[in-house]
Amino acid sequence: MKVELIYAPGCAECMSARAGLRCAAEAVVADVEWSEVDVLDALDYAVELGVLTLPALAIDGSLVFAAPSTWPAA
Amino acid sequence: MNRRCAPPALASRENPSVLTIGKLAAAGEISPDALRYYEAEGLLAPATRTAGGYRLYGEDALRRVRFIKHAQACGFTLAEIRELLHLRQTDKACCNDVRQRAIEKRLQLAAKIRSMQSMSAALNRLIAECADGSQSVDDCPILAALEQIDGGTAPAR
Repeated sequence: MKVELIYAPGCAECMSARAGLRCAAEAVVADVEWSEVDVLDALDYAVELGVLTLPALAIDGSLVFAAPSTWPAA
Repeated sequence: MNRRCAPPALASRENPSVLTIGKLAAAGEISPDALRYYEAEGLLAPATRTAGGYRLYGEDALRRVRFIKHAQACGFTLAEIRELLHLRQTDKACCNDVRQRAIEKRLQLAAKIRSMQSMSAALNRLIAECADGSQSVDDCPILAALEQIDGGTAPAR
């Protein structure tokens, strides 16, 4: 299983979620392939996944989690 | 009738750093109505009002108007601009907080562009299907395609 954390450098929420998410993924799945994607290096890929907020998590190329927006509700 | 006195034209003459709404609007290349709307949205308040109720703005107001206009040009909504202004006044906030919001806005814009490209491609397909423009409206393939229940021509999301 390929798990990708989409993050932005300097994003505090991304850094605080990172260790816990990785631990959880490795605890649940034996053959997890963990990778971290800098959104600024892969913006098109992130948009293709449907990422609008950070951090976001994709499993096998599908978006499964995105953080709530940092913006206030309109 | 509650009569108001004339606008305080002298205010800016006496104190060049004080602007009436008209002067601020002219300097910021924006309408007075937009300035009132910014005020209603909590983005820009007059420093004070005259006895007659006319708004008077301080010297930082023009900078604020320019900030709002630049942010709007980058795609930020007024609610988002209010949040940016709030961050600016928050001691705990740092540049990364602003940066993350800018990155998320960039993602939203890219998603919108993608969606609009998809709409544009769907329209291109419809236009290509209607090569014979002299057909009656009843036979128009564009209208027929838009009526399709399966949504085959709908833009991909």
